[in-house]
Amino acid sequence: MMNIQIGDDQIAYLEGARGTLALVKTLGQFFYMETESEEIILFTEDDDLLVASTFGSGEKFRRGLNCTLYQIRELEAPLIVLPKGHPASPRLKTAVSVGSFTRIKCDIQAGTHPELDVLCGVPEFANVEIRGVKGGAEVMNFEGDVIVGKLIK
Amino acid sequence: MCTCGGPPDINDVKSLEAKDYVCQDCGNKFKGLGSKPKCPSCMSKNVELR
Repeated sequence: MMNIQIGDDQIAYLEGARGTLALVKTLGQFFYMETESEEIILFTEDDDLLVASTFGSGEKFRRGLNCTLYQIRELEAPLIVLPKGHPASPRLKTAVSVGSFTRIKCDIQAGTHPELDVLCGVPEFANVEIRGVKGGAEVMNFEGDVIVGKLIK
Repeated sequence: MCTCGGPPDINDVKSLEAKDYVCQDCGNKFKGLGSKPKCPSCMSKNVELR
């Protein structure tokens, strides 16, 4: 198990060869999830995490994850739920999970599973588990590089 | 949940079992998930299940 310290203004990247995960604290904020017909408010605890996953690695992908998480947490950007089978789904580059615990699964297709604690990722992240804890995150089954930086200033 | 590009793309939102709340201070009605609900309109924690 790996412990990662994440400050309130920091972002932690878990970087592999073909994929990257990014973690920020939710700071107990709530997040808006908008569907075609209703709005659902996702309430979180102080130690919960926003976890984003993308299918690439390197600075370009880290910047993308940083922007995504900054928009969601700092700009209160709502999470828009696309209807099943929407043509935009395969064009989107980042997946996001909100909560105290996230499991990375690789044998699922983005947009096909409603479980709150499951996030799609590249095969090298199979079975990675991330739990929000006081001051940061506990990560299981991950052997790549960890980079901690500032969320966009 | 798995979401893409920031916006979630999930096929069964009803399975998330969001609860219906009403704010006792401002009357705002909303659906929420999580153990610490508060009114997204006035930020009051004085909310009850509908």
